[in-house]
Amino acid sequence: MAEPAVQVEGLGKRFEVAERGAGLRAALRALVHRRVRVVEAVRELSFALAPGERVGLLGPNGAGKTTTLKILAGLLYPSRGQVRVAGFTPHLRKYEFLRSISLVMGHKRQLSWDLPAVDTFELNRVIYDIDASAYRRRLDDFVERLGLASIMFKPVRQLSLGERMKCELVAALLHEPSILFLDEPTLGMDVSMQLAIRAFVREYNEERGATIVLTSHYMQDVSALCPRILVINDGALRFDGTIEALTRTIRPLRRVSVRAESFPEDAALADWGRVIERAGDRLVLDVEPERVPEVVSRLVGLPDSRELLVREAPLEEVLRELFARPDDADEARP
Amino acid sequence: MSARHQLRALAALWRLGFAEASAYRVALFVWILTSTFPLISLALWAGIARDAPVGDFTQRDFVAYFVGAFLIRQLTSSWVVWDLERQIATGELSALLLRPIHPLLHHLMTNLAALPLRAALAAPLAIAVLVAAGGLQIAPSSLELLVLPLALVGAWLINFSVQLIIGSLAFWITSSSALYELWMTCYVVLSGYAVPTSLLPAGMTTAVRYLPFHAALGFPVELLIGRLSPAELLTGFAVQCCWVVALALAAGWTWRRGARVYGAVGA
Repeated sequence: MAEPAVQVEGLGKRFEVAERGAGLRAALRALVHRRVRVVEAVRELSFALAPGERVGLLGPNGAGKTTTLKILAGLLYPSRGQVRVAGFTPHLRKYEFLRSISLVMGHKRQLSWDLPAVDTFELNRVIYDIDASAYRRRLDDFVERLGLASIMFKPVRQLSLGERMKCELVAALLHEPSILFLDEPTLGMDVSMQLAIRAFVREYNEERGATIVLTSHYMQDVSALCPRILVINDGALRFDGTIEALTRTIRPLRRVSVRAESFPEDAALADWGRVIERAGDRLVLDVEPERVPEVVSRLVGLPDSRELLVREAPLEEVLRELFARPDDADEARP
Repeated sequence: MSARHQLRALAALWRLGFAEASAYRVALFVWILTSTFPLISLALWAGIARDAPVGDFTQRDFVAYFVGAFLIRQLTSSWVVWDLERQIATGELSALLLRPIHPLLHHLMTNLAALPLRAALAAPLAIAVLVAAGGLQIAPSSLELLVLPLALVGAWLINFSVQLIIGSLAFWITSSSALYELWMTCYVVLSGYAVPTSLLPAGMTTAVRYLPFHAALGFPVELLIGRLSPAELLTGFAVQCCWVVALALAAGWTWRRGARVYGAVGA
């Protein structure tokens, strides 16, 4: 079996955070008595990712996703536990390790602000020791796929958010990293730009066999890109598996919606499933999976039945429900 | 990374730094204008020495000294303390840490890359002052001219290392550049920036020559204008070397300790 691209065992990360109350008095008190609180950003995390996997790290704000990503990329020293990425200990930041990875952050940049992006591309060519012909080939390929021809010669400060992120991706991928960490890569972008970035990342993964680890608050990013998700909450792993498996564990019911001229009484509908919405000609039910064929046939038989749709619960709702459950009652724990 | 690749990478960083300095050329010129303090000292001391020398400085000596101080300050300055403080506080440092070249080499090269432009922008100002003051009369020997670049490198390394140490303190404290103001206060008095160190009170003149402030400015200026005996020249280089080694080691240590507590805030 191939060595995992990422191997994490008992990872923990503690930060010391200075705190003070509001107002002048608290400010003066803080001058002589500094109050420090220890925050466990990551408590106990263990997982392994195979080469070529696309994995989404999910969790609410402050769950420890970005801290985990920063540790994997070698930016932070772990407080405890073992981490191996591409066969290296990340925080030692060995040359070969840094050549094997890239981290793209939606709200941070590596491009020089007042220079055209192509200047940073050229700098990376030399720093990463990329062969001139390979550099030209990759750059031409990325430029064509992302439509960068007219923007990479403009100073970065004049680019839109989406244009800048495309250039950030190119700068991050020119050395063809085997592991790509993406932290909120589509933050603040419109839908078409999100789609373009997703398609590009997927192609990079499929063509180069690179491992992709993604955090995003846009569930569409995760569901479109990641066959496997790791759900983190309070610095600990709450789920490791596919989106379908998570959904079926947390929200096993299927959501069935339909439009029709009229519906049976509520008491009769309750026998089919749980009524989520009933308004005018629209009805939404949550139905047990094994009863879906039977309920669907009944709904099809309603007068003027149309727009029948059966789907799993949206990932946002599944996660909300997962996070609302106490940790020890967690059925989704791997 | 092979030595050849390392050199190519340093050259690429230099080119990037030069391109950035060119993009900020107006800001660079304004910065030069704000560091014309030696030219103000020149006007003051040349006025005082109009009728009689002050110590061993005639009016022309003051002109040569302070124009030299202005130019050497331009050629040995850096701004890594502010860059590091900002990058650590905002998490911008992460982008440099992710590249397979040491972030301090990035700062070293981009700071060095601005020097030619800085010299080109400062030179007309220095020439204008010299013309207004009636010309420059210095007679450095060929040996002095030969070793001057070494003294400039030493002075630059001292300034850069001190800024690295103070900038790296931003890993622990919010505003480390405030400490740099403290350093600069001592520098103005003890380096020969406001007054040649040979005009300080008798006891101080000898003592300050062993401090890093004088090694970073007064020593190369005195070398440039030919005021050092061979013994003083050797002592000056020895003192400068000691400070370069001590401060570079301290900078490396502070950086390594700091990187362990880096929080990569917001990144």
